[in-house]
Amino acid sequence: MIRAHDLHKSFKTKTGTVNAVSGVSFEARDGQITGLLGPNGAGKTTTLRMLYTLMKPDQGRIEVDGVDAATDPVAVRRALGVLPDARGVYKRLTARENIAYFGRLHGLPAARVAERIATLSAALDMGEILDRQTEGFSQGQRTKTAIARALVHDPRNVILDEPTNGLDVMTTRAMREFLRGLRAEGRCVIFSSHIMQEVAALCDRIVIIAKGKVVAEGSADQLRALTGEDNLEDAFVKAIGSEEGLLA
Amino acid sequence: MSTMSTIWTVLIKELRDIARDRRTLALTLLLGPLLFPALILGMGSLSEKRARTQIDKTLEVPVIGMERAPNLVAFLATRGIKAVPPPQDLEGDIREQKVDVALRISDSFAADWHAGQPALVEVMLDSTRRDADIPGRRLTAALAAYGGQVGALRLLARGIDPSVAQPVNAGTLDLATPEAKRGVLMSVMLPYFLIITAFLGGAALVLDATAGERERQTLEPLLTTPAPRGAIVSGKILAACTLGVAALLLTLLAFKLSAQFATGIARQLDVSLLAIGRFLLVLVPMLLIGTSLLTFLAAAAKSLKEAQSHMTWLMLLPMVPTIMLMANPVKTQLWQFAVPFLAQNQLLLKVIRAEPISAQVWAVYLGCSLGLALLLWVAAVMRYRQEKLAIST
Repeated sequence: MIRAHDLHKSFKTKTGTVNAVSGVSFEARDGQITGLLGPNGAGKTTTLRMLYTLMKPDQGRIEVDGVDAATDPVAVRRALGVLPDARGVYKRLTARENIAYFGRLHGLPAARVAERIATLSAALDMGEILDRQTEGFSQGQRTKTAIARALVHDPRNVILDEPTNGLDVMTTRAMREFLRGLRAEGRCVIFSSHIMQEVAALCDRIVIIAKGKVVAEGSADQLRALTGEDNLEDAFVKAIGSEEGLLA
Repeated sequence: MSTMSTIWTVLIKELRDIARDRRTLALTLLLGPLLFPALILGMGSLSEKRARTQIDKTLEVPVIGMERAPNLVAFLATRGIKAVPPPQDLEGDIREQKVDVALRISDSFAADWHAGQPALVEVMLDSTRRDADIPGRRLTAALAAYGGQVGALRLLARGIDPSVAQPVNAGTLDLATPEAKRGVLMSVMLPYFLIITAFLGGAALVLDATAGERERQTLEPLLTTPAPRGAIVSGKILAACTLGVAALLLTLLAFKLSAQFATGIARQLDVSLLAIGRFLLVLVPMLLIGTSLLTFLAAAAKSLKEAQSHMTWLMLLPMVPTIMLMANPVKTQLWQFAVPFLAQNQLLLKVIRAEPISAQVWAVYLGCSLGLALLLWVAAVMRYRQEKLAIST
């Protein structure tokens, strides 16, 4: 369970202050997939970075399983599995070593790490690539490694920043199945995307973000009813108030 | 997750990572041990060889007005200096380095000689050329000997003891220990090489593990783990130090071996195990300082390229005291052991010269250098705690 209350974040740049996020609130429940949908530059990644405690919100509060992220960020990180926007892997290590490194950093004993790698490798169909050095991995193989790495400590809550970015159709379908599997296990899954079909196909709840604010929230049906549009795409355009980002 | 086990996990991972990058590893570990002894021993034997041949060989000196002083020419020949007729453009040849040194016997030489006046002979050379150094000194010494000999004969001919004209007998009593004399050549090059090996010994790993990690987008995932950031940085710094110590040990070992096989000055270097131990004690704080400083700098760099550009001035930094000491040799004082680079330079010199080092000097040195290393370490840790550090794009 992840709760965000009125998050604000601004950055100072050479040209002035940029308000990346100005008032984002939502709730992501266990056993559900919550999608953050918004055009490029809407503040999705910044919101997620605040959720996984990489950034401190200027204002607002985050709760993960009832723990305040400001008072106990380490406990929050323990409860989260994160696939960040940056998903590089160590090229000279094998996929297994990459995953094991993060397992050790989460404080898992070696036996538990091996057990988790076996489970995740089966779920993500990584058998062939597990003991290969990740140099020369395809985008899909890298993403699988990064997801296994993020979930090695068996977290209750999973945050994925554009997980299907750059993946081909087959891998994307496999990824969707994997996320549904996480939901079936009762985990709380948040993922961001700028692709509406992606969100519509997968999410129980959709949070539409534009210009750093939540502009609409609810299930796909609720959003259609809310905006008075039958087509989800039209609903999205109406919600964000422009067609920007749809071409991305 | 305890801090210690995080440090250990990061340390092992970074070492394994660099161990698979064979070329970088080989360059880091073997460049020092192979290049520096070759350079130093080669240089030593080259300059010794040059000195020996220039001293032993018959020196051919173009002489202007050879016929005016046949006795002088004959005397020079007994000193291994052969007078030859001058070429067309003597001054031009000296400038073009075709001739090292020449002699001009003045027109009035014979007349002055017979009148008992000082007769003029001039040594011609280009004093900015190091190669002219030894031949010039040989010729001057021979001329002085000839003057002294003839002067003494003239006094004797007048019934005067020549020693009357020498009221002061100036001699030099050299108090330098034989060990110190041997180390003269090494004293300039060796400390610089050792300091730079220590200072930047872990650089390859540091650059890869900080700026490289950020560029390859593995930093953000790393920092989303609950592992304490201080422990992550410390693990990286320690991994670089491990590599640096290995490079240092190999370099020192190479010195030990090459000093035992070499001829000449290098043979008499103090390379006992005790001296090697002292080298390490001087250089390990330097390794910590260099690694922490580079971690601090590279962590803030936006790319690996930007981080690498720091290397240029960092490589020049250890040269500063060497150049300062060359231009303005200062006496050893206690405060010097508190100044980075100068302290290492002075201490390494003492070890090379096999001089005793007092406990007070060790205390000042280790206190100050380890203090500075700690300060830089803390600065690197603080930088890793900054929010903007994690963002790669």
